[in-house]
Amino acid sequence: MMLKKVGVLVGVLAVLFTTFGCASMQEKPVNAVQDFPIRPITLIVPSTAGGGPDMLGRAIARLSGKHLGQNMVVLDKAGGGNTTGYNELAGSQPDGYTLGIVTPSLIMQPLYGQTQYDYPTALEPIASITSNPWTLIVRADAPWQNLQELIEDAKQHPGKIKFGHAGLGTVTNVVGEMFIQATGVQIEQVPFQGPAEAITAVLGGHVQMYFGGPAEVTEQVRSGNVRVLAIAASKRLNQPDFMDVPTFKEQGVEVVYQNWLGIAVPKGLPPQVKSKLAAGIKAIVEDPEFKQNLGMNIQYFGPEEAAKLWQDDKERLSKLVKETGLAERIAAQKK
Amino acid sequence: MEMLLQGLYNSLSPENLFACVLGVLLGTVTGILPGIGPLGAIALLLPLSFGMNTLPTLILFAGIYYGSMYGGAITSILLNIPGEDSAVVTCIEGYAMAKKGRGGAAIAIAAIGSFIAGTLGVVGLSLFAPVLAKLSLNFGPCEYFAISIFGLIVLTNLIGYSALKSSLMAVVGIMLGTVGMDGLTGISRFTLQISGLQSGLDFTLVIMGLFGMSEIFQVMAEQPVASAGSRKINFLKQYPDREELQRSLVPICRGGIIGFFIGLLPGPSAVLSSFLAYAAEKKCHKQPEKFGQGMIEGVAGPEAANNSAAAANLIPLLALGLPFSPTSAILLSGFTLHGITPGPTLLTQHADIFWGLVASMYVGNLLLLVINLPLVGIFTSLLRVPVNILMPIVMLIMLTSVYALTQNFFDLGLLILFGFLGFLLKNGGYEPAAFVIGFILGPRIEWGLVQGLLIGDGQLSAFLLRPLSGTILLLSASLLLYKLIQAANKIKKTGGIS
Repeated sequence: MMLKKVGVLVGVLAVLFTTFGCASMQEKPVNAVQDFPIRPITLIVPSTAGGGPDMLGRAIARLSGKHLGQNMVVLDKAGGGNTTGYNELAGSQPDGYTLGIVTPSLIMQPLYGQTQYDYPTALEPIASITSNPWTLIVRADAPWQNLQELIEDAKQHPGKIKFGHAGLGTVTNVVGEMFIQATGVQIEQVPFQGPAEAITAVLGGHVQMYFGGPAEVTEQVRSGNVRVLAIAASKRLNQPDFMDVPTFKEQGVEVVYQNWLGIAVPKGLPPQVKSKLAAGIKAIVEDPEFKQNLGMNIQYFGPEEAAKLWQDDKERLSKLVKETGLAERIAAQKK
Repeated sequence: MEMLLQGLYNSLSPENLFACVLGVLLGTVTGILPGIGPLGAIALLLPLSFGMNTLPTLILFAGIYYGSMYGGAITSILLNIPGEDSAVVTCIEGYAMAKKGRGGAAIAIAAIGSFIAGTLGVVGLSLFAPVLAKLSLNFGPCEYFAISIFGLIVLTNLIGYSALKSSLMAVVGIMLGTVGMDGLTGISRFTLQISGLQSGLDFTLVIMGLFGMSEIFQVMAEQPVASAGSRKINFLKQYPDREELQRSLVPICRGGIIGFFIGLLPGPSAVLSSFLAYAAEKKCHKQPEKFGQGMIEGVAGPEAANNSAAAANLIPLLALGLPFSPTSAILLSGFTLHGITPGPTLLTQHADIFWGLVASMYVGNLLLLVINLPLVGIFTSLLRVPVNILMPIVMLIMLTSVYALTQNFFDLGLLILFGFLGFLLKNGGYEPAAFVIGFILGPRIEWGLVQGLLIGDGQLSAFLLRPLSGTILLLSASLLLYKLIQAANKIKKTGGIS
């Protein structure tokens, strides 16, 4: 008897759900461009949940209802050095309902070999939101007090010092190659699976150096486990944890690398939709609630400035990746 | 101690207690639903936590994490479908027990074992976290290489009757573990130009296919039989008797200790620890030949192990700020979004949060026991549902969960493909468990070897000269030699390969 009642209840609920569900989904005749957005927006994150891009995506999605008038759904599509997510984004309808978080990997990946799309031309930026200079960390009890001592040691003992990175062709690898090119020292690379493993290896003394973003290393810096030897910015940071860290440039090494995260859409959005999105994202970034707990350095650029940033980085990184032989090393193997 | 009591007091506030109850309930459900694990569940729930306070959120997420270790056993035991990666081993003895009508007892023992070992793990966490975290840093690539080799030798011939077939399966597992982009050279291996294979085969997907999907196919292929539970279920008889409880006690402690130490290492420690615990039980038992026919020890040990592994896995996260598994990585992002950075400063700057969380884990484990034990009867009555209704539902849940996790249709195809593969293997007398061992350990061996060689300037001696890795490798070599001699003797006696 009881079961029957429950069954009836479930049935009634199901009917109610379908009716109301459909009613709310029935689309009023709308002007797709004028009234944008009329349904939830999808935000593709090209890496796994838990990483920097994912955190940024979720921080944006949280305020989307307030500033864009529609909720945002975060989809983590990881794999293939971010290309899985980028392919999905580049292949989606350019109607403003699919956005994606992008990183400099959209420029690097096509340099390493044939990708499904040429991302810098298939996508266009809505905004660049964060910018973080890369750091060089060593274990707190490492013998080198500054960059010069490290370089001296590396010159005297070629191949002795190893740097760990979070995967071939990732930023942590590319900045290491920049350092090698700028100093001419011989340090060896050791690949790890992701930043956490690489930092663990530095803490355990298995490798000696790691080039990482501030967000990844802050906790280790604060607790005194690692020492930051240099920061790849044009001037010192004003974050308390990094205030006393000299830049590479100050120490005579030409390494500058700012890793940005931004939002992009497939090319060909109606201009009105694009400007609405750009304004909405700008409002989100400027909301005081947005910065809370994000732990990243916010540096907002609108669509035009972000496009310029893409262009600059493309020229610089193409040159670097070619000169260091990184592109050939990866491209040759990919064939 | 004072801090812990203060934390306990905090964790019992209505808000925190509610978060804890909700967390462990969601965790149990997550564990029961095959395909969706704590990783997926937390990722899906992350956006909902924004409006909540910090401590309740952390309590909620942690609750989902260790709660799922309880639930995973239930479908393993009743349906032979692991609800969680870490419950694969539980299928073997658990399902055999269910067929004998002792499914309820197996579930109850799994819950009790989980409680004891989970609490053991939290005790370890609250007493020694910083020390153990430092200790785990001493494990470098060489040690991982050595320990994975050891694991491969110990675990390959764990289940099944033919050493030859098991070894073959392990090799196939190692081969499939190489699919995807190689981390050292960037070369794409065995990807057949399919972009979905570029990042390799997903671990959960393979396990769900080989064990879960394949079981559904198995049921489909068999003659429709009356479901096992159409017999009357006596609720009182569903609980373990005195003898079963006595037999489980030592395995629970043993499993708990094994799980705790394996949990300190990176990688899929919950799965590995449950396999190791099973191996330990089989080795320690007086009648190892009886394993596979529903030995309670084979449920108690592994289920205890995966729970203490889950607790231990939080140690590197909380004490170092370094996530050693995908699940702790998502926990890390949940923490960070709420303004808490796990790591050494957590204890100094947010001591209230740290101890509140740890204390809530004591409470949560107790809650799980209290929630799970009375439900044993209800869980077992699941078997009264005819299989032709139950299995399609399970299949749907599995497909939905996998899609929710990866958002990729290609992966659904893979899931079904591995389901067929598992079906064929089981019917051919090959043991998919050995495949999983190769699949997990193969890539770890390769990474360890490559990294160790790079660090040691290409010298193989680097592996032998480090005390820990050298010892483990020596031990592995002698074990292998012993096994080979044993096998040779057997062949001499019987005149053929068995």
